[in-house]
Amino acid sequence: MTKLSKVLVLGFTAGLAALGLAACGGGGGGGTQGGTATVLMGTAPDYLDPQESYTTQGWEPNRIAYTGLVTYSHENGAAGNTIIPGLATSLPQISADGKTYTLTLRKGLVYSDGSPVKASDFKCTMERLIKVNFGGKSFITDNVEGATAYDKGQSNEISGVTTDDSTGKITIKLVKRYGAFTNVLAFPNLGLVPCGTPDHTLTTTMPPGVGPYMYKDIVPNKSFTMVRNPHFAQLNLPDIPTGHLDQIKVTIQSNTQTEAQQVLNNQADNFDAGDTLPPSLVPQVQSRAKDRFEAVTIPSTFYFFLNTRIPPFNSELARQAVNVAIDRPAMQRLASGFLTPECFFLPEGIPGHPTSPCPYGPADGHGDIAKAQQLVKQSGTAGQSITVWGEERSPRKEYVEYYADLLNRIGYHATPKLISDTTYFPTIGNAKTNPQTGFADWIQDFPNPVDFYLLLTTSSIQPVNNENFGYVSDPFIDQQVNKLSPTPTEKLDSVASQWQGLDEYTAKKAYVVVYGSEAVPKFFSDRIDFGSAVVNPTYLNDWSTWQLK
Amino acid sequence: MAVDPTAPSPGTSAALEPGVALGQTAVAGEGGVGPYKLALRRLRRNRTALAFGAMFLVIVVMCLCAPLYSKYVAHTTPSANHITDTVKVGGKTEDVVSPGGIPIGPTWQGRFFLGADSNGRDVAVRLLYGGRNSLEIGFIATLISCLLATIIALAAGYYRGVIDGVLSRTMDLIWAYPVILLGIALGTALAVGGLDFGLFTVSGASLWIPAIIIGVVYVPYMAKPLRGQVLSLREKEFVEAARSQGAGNLRIMFREILPNVASSIIVFIPLMIANAILLEAALSFLGAGVQPPNPSWGTMIGDGIRLIPSAMHLTLIPGAMLVLAVLGINVFGDGVRDALDPRAEVRIEH
Repeated sequence: MTKLSKVLVLGFTAGLAALGLAACGGGGGGGTQGGTATVLMGTAPDYLDPQESYTTQGWEPNRIAYTGLVTYSHENGAAGNTIIPGLATSLPQISADGKTYTLTLRKGLVYSDGSPVKASDFKCTMERLIKVNFGGKSFITDNVEGATAYDKGQSNEISGVTTDDSTGKITIKLVKRYGAFTNVLAFPNLGLVPCGTPDHTLTTTMPPGVGPYMYKDIVPNKSFTMVRNPHFAQLNLPDIPTGHLDQIKVTIQSNTQTEAQQVLNNQADNFDAGDTLPPSLVPQVQSRAKDRFEAVTIPSTFYFFLNTRIPPFNSELARQAVNVAIDRPAMQRLASGFLTPECFFLPEGIPGHPTSPCPYGPADGHGDIAKAQQLVKQSGTAGQSITVWGEERSPRKEYVEYYADLLNRIGYHATPKLISDTTYFPTIGNAKTNPQTGFADWIQDFPNPVDFYLLLTTSSIQPVNNENFGYVSDPFIDQQVNKLSPTPTEKLDSVASQWQGLDEYTAKKAYVVVYGSEAVPKFFSDRIDFGSAVVNPTYLNDWSTWQLK
Repeated sequence: MAVDPTAPSPGTSAALEPGVALGQTAVAGEGGVGPYKLALRRLRRNRTALAFGAMFLVIVVMCLCAPLYSKYVAHTTPSANHITDTVKVGGKTEDVVSPGGIPIGPTWQGRFFLGADSNGRDVAVRLLYGGRNSLEIGFIATLISCLLATIIALAAGYYRGVIDGVLSRTMDLIWAYPVILLGIALGTALAVGGLDFGLFTVSGASLWIPAIIIGVVYVPYMAKPLRGQVLSLREKEFVEAARSQGAGNLRIMFREILPNVASSIIVFIPLMIANAILLEAALSFLGAGVQPPNPSWGTMIGDGIRLIPSAMHLTLIPGAMLVLAVLGINVFGDGVRDALDPRAEVRIEH
């Protein structure tokens, strides 16, 4: 090669590299910029209010509209569990005793309405989260100094949070060491909103936030649109995509058949990852859309809760009977194969997931009805009436119908009670409902076993928005969770065996009937660049990574 | 004095007074044969109506035999799940529900004769039990509608004034709501909380809930035309005569006027049953009618929708049964109407 050729090749290569770097900055990736994508959701978000939402359907949009002090990396798989700085300059500095977290707000941040972001907004956001009664507020009230007093109205502010607007310094004092607190700070619910945002649930107009997109045209339980935040790109937040699309239109389509058909036929661009593909369409999707469909396993637990306070499931023998009887492969078929049979509460992928055999028969076994009938008789609860609560959407409806039949076969008089998906969890989470048993599921908030065990601790029992549906109150579980929860996420391996012991204990006590972990569909139209679209293990579809081909 | 054969039949009210009109026809045309006997003769001559009536009857009998079919032929119950079971078809063992969630189609043998649904339940068994539920609701709803509509029509038409005003406006209010929307609103609300009448309660899953809802929403469709007839009849001489003989209001309403609107009520009954079955199917399809685990043709169609491309039998079979049942009772109802009063144009429109 001549000297001139070498120079030309070098120059050409350098030019390409420069172009590549330019494309990776800001929006990231080299696909089309701009355009509109349409998302179909089978279930409406529980809330769009940034501080109140507690479902993946609400978190998907909130994550790109409200960035917190720290957030998760916008990556697929395990890499998506990495915490990165968001509006803070770096990850929190944690004191030696693990009880004080210090962060500094980046300079020059502005909300989507152009107003400046202040350090004190973080405190207002945390207080608002408590005021609107976020379902996971116990993460804050149990850990942050003064948060319980604020929640009970005994104080006008959370005393444990101090902020300095001039320096941007934020200090958070905890009542006890809590290893997963950095994960808590990464909740989309702690995405900053300005002080003065109303302390009640917002439904049609959302407060300004800091994120690549913002809400527009919200019709509750029907549709909403995300449009670009005009001020976000200039903030240059490292590792946080500025988004490629101009608009993302979301429509609630409760018929998953129609939802899937429209994406298959390229009439809509995304099938909600929180929904299950109708079994009749799975073969078609796998053949016609194999380059734009993938089943992504997410650490999740699907189970039936058993109310331990009221008959019949205040009897341990009755609870064991249901665990003995359940046919998990049957549940797998109801889920069109999108379910891996499991019997332990901590799913695979979460530190502490037991590798020991299931206490009441193998996870892939078909259940032992005769033995279960015997246990029910022994428990003295045979013949009792049971109302089984469930959602109307498939396959959850089918899960509950199967479960009610199972309870009838082992000696009870069970009747399913199916209610609208949008009201299901608030209804069964209300103490007045006091449900006996029913459907429940949990997809990780963050990769830490303590996140799952929130559902089974005494302190998480609330009169409304309760997530401990079975009212499990076991001193051993409480004690172990208190002991293990201070371990930081990055050192979880050192206590994994103890978590495993706790999970085995929970399975033996039969507090819940776990039947599996679900895989979610990553399913797009031909218009979207499938390769660059990220499915985060916690927040599922990352809309800020989508781009048109 | 149920019918006044000498009463004049004013032009516009002739069709509204079937009893009177039939009496006159009987005297004039068939030498003293009673109106109902005459109607029966006319109905017997209407072969089409009888054939469809017989078809409806066959469906009713089949549905009534559901427990026998379930116990001795299918060996299962309508709610029993058989998801991981297998069945031998032509010597070959097949999954009732495949690992991918697709249920087996018709086997044309005792077990799973018409196939299974996604929970592995026998479609034929559910079809018959579902028919029982749909028909039961249709009949109960019709009974409720007829009773309430008759009482309201008699009270409003006879007393007129304030009572008529209040009852008629209430009927207008119910009529103003589209039947389906009203049914969904009531169905959804009552399915969760049930009904509490003080002395007794009806649970949200009971078949009485959709029956009561359908019965109530259809009251105005029957009460308003009947009220018109009562308004006209109360001015007749035979009513004046009864009054002058000292008969009380209740006696006049139930002994003098009611028999004269009875043929209209009879004409309404099959049409109401057909409409009630259809509305039940619509509400159940939308999740506001029959609640699980009870099957109905509407819930079966709703459950099968998501599997249409690969298990069409789940929607086609209950859909066909619904069409046949409604067609049968409707055509028979038209025959009854023609037999009782060929000039009447009774329709339930909404």
